[in-house]
Amino acid sequence: MKPCCLLKRLLLCCCGLVLAGLAVSAQALTLELRQAQALVTVQGQTTRETVSLPYHWDRHHAGLAGEATFELPFELAQAPTVPFGLYLPRLGNAYEIWLNGILLQQNGDLQYGNGPDFAKAPRHIVISPGLLRTHNLFRVQIRADVGRRGGLAPLTLGPDEEVYPLYLHDYRWRSTGSFIVVIASLLIGLAAFALWATQVDAAGPGRPRRDPLYLYAGVAELCWTVAISDAIIEHPPFLWPWWGMVALAATMVWVGSMILFCAEVAGWSRLRAVTWLRRWLAVLLMASVAAGTTSLVYGYPLAMTLLYAVLGLTALIFVATFIWKAARGASLPHKIVAAAVLWNTLVGLRDLYVFRLSQAYGGNTLLRYSSVLFGLALLYIVIMRFRVASAQARDLNANLAARVAQKEQELEQSYRRVEQLAREQERTAERTRILRDMHDGVGAHISTAIRQMESGQASHVEVLQTLRDSLDQLKLSIDAMNLSPGDITALLANLRYRLEPRFKASDIELQWDVDLVLPLARLDHAAMRQLQYMVFESLSNVLQHAHATQLRIELRSTAQGGARLRVIDNGCGFEPERVKRRGLSSLRERAAAIAASLLITSVAGNTVVEIELN
Amino acid sequence: MDAIERMKSCHPMNMGRVGIASAGGYGYARHRIKYGGAKQVWRVLVVEDDPQTREFFSGSVSRCAELRLAASVGTVAEAKAWLDDNANTVDVLLTDLGLPDGSGLEVIRHARRLNPACEPLVISMFGDEDNVLASIEAGALGYIHKDSTPDDIAQTILDMRAGASPISPMIARRVLSKYQSDRRQNNRVLAPVLPSSIAIKSEATEDGEAKSQRGLLSPREQEVLALIARGFSYAEIARLQGLSVHTVQTHIKNLYGKLSVHSKSEAVFEATRMGLLSGHD
Repeated sequence: MKPCCLLKRLLLCCCGLVLAGLAVSAQALTLELRQAQALVTVQGQTTRETVSLPYHWDRHHAGLAGEATFELPFELAQAPTVPFGLYLPRLGNAYEIWLNGILLQQNGDLQYGNGPDFAKAPRHIVISPGLLRTHNLFRVQIRADVGRRGGLAPLTLGPDEEVYPLYLHDYRWRSTGSFIVVIASLLIGLAAFALWATQVDAAGPGRPRRDPLYLYAGVAELCWTVAISDAIIEHPPFLWPWWGMVALAATMVWVGSMILFCAEVAGWSRLRAVTWLRRWLAVLLMASVAAGTTSLVYGYPLAMTLLYAVLGLTALIFVATFIWKAARGASLPHKIVAAAVLWNTLVGLRDLYVFRLSQAYGGNTLLRYSSVLFGLALLYIVIMRFRVASAQARDLNANLAARVAQKEQELEQSYRRVEQLAREQERTAERTRILRDMHDGVGAHISTAIRQMESGQASHVEVLQTLRDSLDQLKLSIDAMNLSPGDITALLANLRYRLEPRFKASDIELQWDVDLVLPLARLDHAAMRQLQYMVFESLSNVLQHAHATQLRIELRSTAQGGARLRVIDNGCGFEPERVKRRGLSSLRERAAAIAASLLITSVAGNTVVEIELN
Repeated sequence: MDAIERMKSCHPMNMGRVGIASAGGYGYARHRIKYGGAKQVWRVLVVEDDPQTREFFSGSVSRCAELRLAASVGTVAEAKAWLDDNANTVDVLLTDLGLPDGSGLEVIRHARRLNPACEPLVISMFGDEDNVLASIEAGALGYIHKDSTPDDIAQTILDMRAGASPISPMIARRVLSKYQSDRRQNNRVLAPVLPSSIAIKSEATEDGEAKSQRGLLSPREQEVLALIARGFSYAEIARLQGLSVHTVQTHIKNLYGKLSVHSKSEAVFEATRMGLLSGHD
């Protein structure tokens, strides 16, 4: 696989020969068998020739399938006593290996082609000591498909402990390495798709936009997974030419997607040239199908080579521009991707030289390994983006917290203002109520007393009565502050207590018939005071004007959940509609103010003032 | 009736009025109390800072044959000094609340401490709940309105000595809501008259005060208080409950004592809690 390795091995062989010649007991030597007698059958024509290995079928029979039998005679100084190992870097696509007429290994069917491909992994066979003699013959039969890298690599034979490490090294490098790259590409591709599906930019104008960068990266990585998985799949899902085309198309799409990915990284996605580039890549994709078919089915590999050349030229022009721009100063992601592109281009050119121009037959392309750099570049871009995004989110959060704090402060201020306003309003209402109370009650009585004294006509007793009334009003208004709103029973009890000296002073028998009545929710402090005035007024009327001997105070619940209050006396009575007493009109005003119905009926011996609250 | 005549006689009203008055009367239910022939004279100390008012109350007391004015002073300090003098004894203390050098409540406490038999009466302008309740808790057994007539003042003092303490419906309601013993019973008796705000307040303070206050009022006292809160007079309550007027009055006077004792123990409890008194006190 590597010239230096072969050289080393040859050197080792030479040293071994020298040492063997000197040694008393000749040791088994590691041989590399490079000459073979080949019997090649192509299109029914069989030819016999001597060939040197590696025999790269596609180089000898471009576009043709066929079979070949290689005979490799070799001599050993003596029959070995230790197990020998046979190592073949590549042979196939199907093969049989015979040693001295004994079948050592068989893979695939020599009759029917285009099925499984066994020319992918290196081969290693342990040969029991008894099978080898001093004169030996290896017979290797192969069947090769069109353009499938069939053929036979040189055979390395020697003690197994020397040969097996060679095989293992090759196996690890080609099969295990490819497997790891396949898994890595698959994971990176899926991650890129997940990012594309979840990272939706809703901030921009128009419809929410997904980032095509992730889409291109995802497509590229998944196609790359398919393309290089060919190296480890011996049993492809379809027959050969079509499977080959799948792998080819995947490679094409990989190249195209990588180009578009790079364009996104460089921020060129809106350029007109990139629009054209996309179309051009789409055309190449179509062409690759045609070229693949021509190359694999009809056996014109030139079509494939031409397509590769066109794609390679396109990629080279783009890569040159991309790297040139990066070198002239671009964003850090651009530079990093440019570095990855440069490295991959160099590796790709090396692979192109090795597998298309030189006669190398054995190893795999190195591009598969270097392509991991693209995944790392993508990882870097994603990490940087999230770093930027989280920094923005932090900024936004800090900003938001500050704004919330400001709003809270404003809210608190306005709340305080509203509260203050409410308090002021409450104070104003309270002041208004107290002022009206003083005006209607104490104030009115004191001014009456002053008028009585000034006129000189009122008696001492009358003035005294007015002043006592004034003090009673004061006490009642203080009591009204303590009365619980709506509690009419308490209101009446309190009124009776305050007017007790007056009842005593008169000769009226008081009948107290007050039921327990549920507090009326609709009566507030002001309404309670109004009601207190009304009852006080009614009782004053009876005490001062009625000349009654009986006074009955009744309180009942009504069916509507309200209360009915009656003040009944057996005095002389009056005609409610005709008598325009100041007290009566004030009763009506107050009843209207608290939405109470007031009913006054009066005949001699039975006057009823009924106040109903519902 | 002639005011001067009433002042002289100290007898509240003629007997004809008593029937009516007891039907409509309040804490002032009048009835003569016999003292086994021997005429008892009560010594009264008047504490009032306004000279005119002090003069008025002193006059009202000294004009009554069954009362004797022991002294009349104008400040807390003077009252205390007078009470501290062993030569002075007093049966009734008549005090204003707002005094220049302190509260009449201090004088009441001082007098009760020196002589538990002394019965304090508070002179109140309005008979408003807060002041009256505070006075009762300090040890007062009644209160007199500033605008009372002279013979009413003397009569109130005599009534109190005879066992009748006045209580207004609003104070009855306050006492009930503050010192309820059985919530369910109270709710039944008082639900319609109990102000909801007070009910809520009492519920909120229930936890803290429940221990010291529950059971302070007997069921009978609660019933009497509930009826007073509804506006019934002592006579009406007596009729409704099948008791004598005197029993009703006794309930009220006992209540005064209970509230005073209770507030004292509450104060001691508070003081202990705050670390003002050591635990074994």
